[in-house]
Amino acid sequence: MNEFLTSISYDRWILNVLLLLPLIGVIPVVLAPAARAKQIALAVTIAELVVSLGLWWAYNPADPAMQFGVTGPWLPQWGINYTLGLDGISLFMVLLTTAITPLAVLSSFNYIGEREKLYYSLLLTLLTGMLGVFLALDMFLFYFFWELMLIPMYFIIGIWGGKNRLYAAIKFFIYTMAGSLLMLVAILVMMFQVAKSTGVYTFSYDAFLQASPQMTALAPWLFLAFALAFAIKVPIFPFHTWLPDAHVEAPTAGSVILASVLLKMGTYGFLRFAVPFFPEVALSPAVTAVVTTCAVVGVIYGALVAMVQPDFKKLVAYSSVSHLGFVMLGIWAATLQSVQGALMIMIGHGLSTGALFLLIGMLYERRHTREISAYGGLARVIPVFSLILVVTSLASIGLPGLNGFVGEFLVLVGSFERHPWATGLATTGVIFAAAYLLWALQRIVFNKLDKSENAHLTDLSARELLVVLPLVVGMIWLGLYPKPVLDRMDASARHYVEQVAPGFERQPATALNRAQEDRP
Amino acid sequence: MTQTAIDLTTPVGLMLGLMPELVLSLGILGVLLVVAWRHEGPADSRRAGWLSLVSLGATGLALAWLFRAAPDDPGIGLMIAVDAFRFAASCLILLLSAGAILCSMGYLERERLVAPEYYVLVLLAVLGMLFMVNAQDLIVLFLGLETMSVSIYVLAAFSRGSPFSAEAGLKYFLMGSFAAGFLLYGIALVYGAAGSTNLVQIGAQFSLGGLSLMAKLGLGLLLVGFAFKVAAVPFHMWAPDTYEGAPTPVAGFMATAVKTAGFIALARVLYTCFQNSIDTWQPIIWGIAVASMVLGNLVALVQKSLKRMLAYSSVAHAGYLVAALFPGSALGVSAMTFYLLGYGITSIAAFALLAAMGRNGERDVTLDEVAGLAGQRPWLAFAFAVVLLSLFGFPGTIGFIGKWYIISSIVAAGKPALAVILVVTSLISAGYYLPVIMAMYMKPARAPMVYYDTRLGRTAGLAVGLALAGILVLGFWPVPALTITDGAAGSLTQSPSQSVAGR
Repeated sequence: MNEFLTSISYDRWILNVLLLLPLIGVIPVVLAPAARAKQIALAVTIAELVVSLGLWWAYNPADPAMQFGVTGPWLPQWGINYTLGLDGISLFMVLLTTAITPLAVLSSFNYIGEREKLYYSLLLTLLTGMLGVFLALDMFLFYFFWELMLIPMYFIIGIWGGKNRLYAAIKFFIYTMAGSLLMLVAILVMMFQVAKSTGVYTFSYDAFLQASPQMTALAPWLFLAFALAFAIKVPIFPFHTWLPDAHVEAPTAGSVILASVLLKMGTYGFLRFAVPFFPEVALSPAVTAVVTTCAVVGVIYGALVAMVQPDFKKLVAYSSVSHLGFVMLGIWAATLQSVQGALMIMIGHGLSTGALFLLIGMLYERRHTREISAYGGLARVIPVFSLILVVTSLASIGLPGLNGFVGEFLVLVGSFERHPWATGLATTGVIFAAAYLLWALQRIVFNKLDKSENAHLTDLSARELLVVLPLVVGMIWLGLYPKPVLDRMDASARHYVEQVAPGFERQPATALNRAQEDRP
Repeated sequence: MTQTAIDLTTPVGLMLGLMPELVLSLGILGVLLVVAWRHEGPADSRRAGWLSLVSLGATGLALAWLFRAAPDDPGIGLMIAVDAFRFAASCLILLLSAGAILCSMGYLERERLVAPEYYVLVLLAVLGMLFMVNAQDLIVLFLGLETMSVSIYVLAAFSRGSPFSAEAGLKYFLMGSFAAGFLLYGIALVYGAAGSTNLVQIGAQFSLGGLSLMAKLGLGLLLVGFAFKVAAVPFHMWAPDTYEGAPTPVAGFMATAVKTAGFIALARVLYTCFQNSIDTWQPIIWGIAVASMVLGNLVALVQKSLKRMLAYSSVAHAGYLVAALFPGSALGVSAMTFYLLGYGITSIAAFALLAAMGRNGERDVTLDEVAGLAGQRPWLAFAFAVVLLSLFGFPGTIGFIGKWYIISSIVAAGKPALAVILVVTSLISAGYYLPVIMAMYMKPARAPMVYYDTRLGRTAGLAVGLALAGILVLGFWPVPALTITDGAAGSLTQSPSQSVAGR
């Protein structure tokens, strides 16, 4: 495989193609008849997935630096360059994005019945925006993509969403914008600080990274601006209120993309920008205390609120708050296991929550309600659907053998050395997760079949199976054999930990730590 | 093509230095002559419109010729400036005026306002603006400003059948007269303090001895006068009523070209006369900027009529532009000039689209009036959405580049607090731009076919198409425009070391 990829000089054009292909795909979607839009969009996103899969082999796991780099001038007067690159952290975010999008397109085939051209054009634009965020290594470029993906999502929620869609759309937009505008000022302030120390006007990520230790006086403010933008996007506990609205009101594909990809942008932002730029501030005791507290509160609060939701979609939305609390805990513990765990949760949550939203969408298309109380005994009527829902829920709970377990275990193990109390409290989140999901399963899938409307539901069609099965396979694969994934993120995670918390990865080895050291 | 530089010290050379203005004056006379014989039907009105466009084009050619022939350093003490700043500003004004004329052609016929004098008045206003941006003497500046204003007073009241238009004209006239009075008083005081009306000489005088009380009063009154003209808080009160009542293309013309002329003249006065007393005017500029941004954005939130909303948003944009003057650097002037371009082409398109949505009889366009537009007129809705996003400053549009430039000029001056106020207030603006997009795309239309007569018309469509192309192309690739504005700003401040752009 590698020879083939080298022979077509894959590493030189891949990132450009990833960003351009969806945008080019918009043209046939707009020009073709409306009925063809979905097929074209599906073809484009599948092509994107196929092209991106090469990254899996072409990526060199031993090298923690940015790979597949592309650079060129954009606005040379302002020191803005078009710089892209990929490391072990962004690799999986990119693959997750390209894998989820075709499924999201496929799941929309029946759901979206009006203004299809606009819908699929927006989805494709969104794909470029999301990939751009994960690939950009120029702060201007990053900001550009960060904002760019807002508009398609805003339209997707606002046009094809549920009853309360207008409110949810504008709330989503304003919340995200509020954070990112301050980040814009912070980026500019940093740029002029970089210019002061090096004499060069540049927005390059590397220059920012090198110059950031000298900004001692400004560092807390700059960190705050970045952290606010990312905390809203994650969302961390007090900033989470846009999430349930947006998730519940969005159409299925919108919820899936929101949960699987957009939520990861916040944590990715912390991993890539906020923490490495200002490790002294970020990992200072005070900030750590605040973030860890918010993370743990998020874990428990999200789980408790999820438990009492009558609406299944809202339940899953709140469970995201809980899961992302784990991710934040892992990032802030800054040990090798905890960071790898955080990354694993980011991937795993993308698969399992994405699948849950897809399944809810399928149920909704049949019954037009998401109330848990409207269901019961589905296992008898639609066994395949029920089986998949059970497996996905178990993955989300963190059952060993499925993906959720790997990440949560690594985070808890990795964080325990640093924050035993917080970690101990967060562990209860796992228990709560079992409680709310199993209880929901019981009410939906099991119990008695006492509603006559449910008696004649049809089971999953071939298309629907095609949508969820890849995710289920992914969950089982990540749960049973995560080594290839861990291998590929190892160098980058190690690099990250050395960067932000030097010397800390040589902590007294836990069993798992030792196992990793032994690995060839 | 090599040309000998014109000698501006001779009377002939000075006349040559006014070539664009002379060409435009000839054009005005020509259009006036044609109109005197042919002023009956729509065809005559349209002919006058095309002739005005031709005059603007000829003026542009004269400007290009002058730009090539002009000496690099014109020397000191001229009444008119011959520098890159003037050329950039004149080009911008010609561009925006041409856009306004294109938007007016179909509108006047639709509203049965076929009076070809309209175009003569527009051209006269343009002539005044050209003098405002070339003035290097307070008297020339004032003459240009008055030529412009008198034409605009009439234009604002041009819709003779409408009491609102009359109100708009009268209000603008009364307020504008006061503003002119303040400005004249300021000129008198500055003259008293410096002993000259020439900007360069005033600057030399003030940089020697600092500002006397009289000079400070003069500066204050000048700022008041300019703030009136560009509709900055607290002198913005006329703007909403005038924009609402005036014919929509005129409102667009006022919001863009008039504002451009006002800001360019203000920048020239501040940077030539008072460049060494930056400590005196910076706090005032700060106050005007913050007040305009906060008030404009907050009040725009509660407007029902889209035209009033755009009026208040233009107050907010005036605030952003004043904020660009705050750093007192070449970077700031360049940012301001670029923003004027971005805001100008965006607003011309915005008002043209608004005129189309007003339909026959110029109804007041509210949010309900555009509900579901995207379903029935997808391209109109798309254009308006892009325009609104550009006004909001969304990446990918020229509005974003403009705002980015202003913010970076403020941050470069080491004043991030003003930058934070700017971004927070521009976040507020999402609260009134987005609902329009929402109404167009996410709400159902009141009835099928309700937008059957919502049409842009061919000429306005051309203007909007060009503006849209400008918004998007310059939003991705602003380098050509940036090169021009950087050069313009450099010629005004003549201290390239202050400029940031990593040259």
